[in-house]
Amino acid sequence: MDKNVAEEKMAQLEWYITKHCLWQYNSRAWDRLIQNERILTKTKQLLRGENAKDEDTTADKYYWSEAMSLQEGFKRYFPWVAETSKDDIAQILDLLKERMDHTMVHASLNQELVKEHY
Amino acid sequence: MPYHQFKCSECIPERLHHAVDKGETEDLTDALPLGYLNTIPGTISERGCAYCGAKHVIGTPMKDVIHLSHGPVGCTYDTWQTKRYISDDGNFQLKYTFASDMKEANVVFGAEKMLKKNIVEAFKAFPEIHNMALYQTCASALIGDDINAIAEEVMEEMPDKKVFVCNAPGFAGPSQSGGHHKINIAWLNQMVGTGEPVIYSKYVINYVGEYNIQGDQEIMKDYFHRMGIQINATFTGNGRFDDLRCLHKAQLNVLECARSSEYICDELRTRYGIPRMDIDGFGFEATADSLMKVAHFFGIEDKAQEIIDAEYARWKPELDWYAARLKGVKMCLWPGGSKLWHWAHMLKSEMGINVVSVYTKFGHQGDMEKGVSRCEPGTLAIDDPNELESVEAMYELKPDLIMTGKRPGEVAKKIRVPYLNVHGYHNGPYKGFEGWVRLARDIYNCVYSPAHQLVNLDISKDEIPTDKGFVTRESLSDANLSDEIKNSTELREYTGAYDPIPALRKKAESNVYTFPDPETGEWRVVPVETLRNSKIVDVE
Repeated sequence: MDKNVAEEKMAQLEWYITKHCLWQYNSRAWDRLIQNERILTKTKQLLRGENAKDEDTTADKYYWSEAMSLQEGFKRYFPWVAETSKDDIAQILDLLKERMDHTMVHASLNQELVKEHY
Repeated sequence: MPYHQFKCSECIPERLHHAVDKGETEDLTDALPLGYLNTIPGTISERGCAYCGAKHVIGTPMKDVIHLSHGPVGCTYDTWQTKRYISDDGNFQLKYTFASDMKEANVVFGAEKMLKKNIVEAFKAFPEIHNMALYQTCASALIGDDINAIAEEVMEEMPDKKVFVCNAPGFAGPSQSGGHHKINIAWLNQMVGTGEPVIYSKYVINYVGEYNIQGDQEIMKDYFHRMGIQINATFTGNGRFDDLRCLHKAQLNVLECARSSEYICDELRTRYGIPRMDIDGFGFEATADSLMKVAHFFGIEDKAQEIIDAEYARWKPELDWYAARLKGVKMCLWPGGSKLWHWAHMLKSEMGINVVSVYTKFGHQGDMEKGVSRCEPGTLAIDDPNELESVEAMYELKPDLIMTGKRPGEVAKKIRVPYLNVHGYHNGPYKGFEGWVRLARDIYNCVYSPAHQLVNLDISKDEIPTDKGFVTRESLSDANLSDEIKNSTELREYTGAYDPIPALRKKAESNVYTFPDPETGEWRVVPVETLRNSKIVDVE
């Protein structure tokens, strides 16, 4: 997929997350990076029709539940998601992960992200 | 996203970085208001203190507890009865407040003996209550009274009583948020793990950061129980002291107000491996998505869908009646910490309301990240505004109403801006599907109040029109509506009860809720006595 097209579609998914989700706002940088990684990876797997359950733990069930909810929302708001090829989904979701890491962690102005304790 | 310069605060340059105007193209990396910092000298903050945040916001909603403040009587009095966190067993926590009533002599000579005497007296006056939350205040903290030692002495002498100590004096943080943090961690360290609950369902959650304002918790509890989910404990609205000692026994923490109680969720995740799932219980879409997300965790999607279908069918036509009449209304959304982000997008997408400003008195930058993200471009976001800034913002933005708490609400009234109380609520509950319709109704009644229209006339200078007769809310709201909407047979005004909570309690007493047995998975009725008062066994 053309990079500009992929970025435009990624921006739509990012809009959905900012308006509907809360998982990206955990209060420490390390926590946000884990949330982004686990939830967006599972979302990508689900949208590509792959197994997204890694282990039989409550933590994994939690990430999977967030991912299920997210991919349902993506499909509800953006019909193109269901019609996009697996490769293109991977490209868009990888861009999305990069973008979330940038906005919520690496370029974030939130001064609490680096505090040691909760 | 440039910082917003209030004219009234030009003389306090530090205030500049506490407000931003959300631009069309910028994002959170361009500007974000500062937050959770000490109030700047010279600015008259409207914040509460850390003691208030601990006692009033989080501690007192616990229902079977004597809440005793060790300090001057004013501390406990001023944190009493301004929020309607009701309970389903008689509202003991609202009816009574307790103080050791420190005076000058106690400051000079110490107040520990008096405190012990007062604790014992309080327990003897209410022998059916076996639990106490004991709150430190500025005065008792500054003279160094050891309230932990007194609590230990009392528990030794009265072994059937439990005393939880909350050491969050007023100065223990920049705002009430410092008290939220302190009581979260204190509860975790002192109380969690000291009780063993009865587990009666395969699916067990803690419902955290929910304070049962006018019955919010009971609305959500009904949904969870209809899904067969056991609420092990609610932190803390309508919550039992003993249930909250068992927070370590849930499979999932379902978190509403992350601002006040993410700390305990994060620590329960670290210490006990219980995941934290943040949800939004306000708005149709947000509530539906939240119920479904919890259902995904337990694999009971069909149960959630049944509820969503039934609630949409019952309440959506009523929400849409109000939405048609609220489209384009301008609102300043100025609640405490979490409702700015719980509500900003849902007000826009489900009622068509334009949120022109969000503020938080005690939120952190994380709350502003959520709030700014969820509101539309052009919104003014303010951290810890002083009264003059609020007034300047209202004159500048000309909102049709503001949704806020009692103190700033009274200021708004004085400059003729209608105000809706979203701390203690006007006519809540506002949570869930029916609750969201009730909020829409309250906004509608507020914006189109014929009485309030009269306030906009100043008899000292305005010409008083004599050609206008009797008006109603509907004649005002429907003036520019299409006939299609006005004559719709599908849309209707709110038809629920004056107070929906008594019916919910009666429903529970009819033993209608079924839960899957934790061992066999067989669905069976669990009696209301178990739901409300299951036995907690003490453990060391």
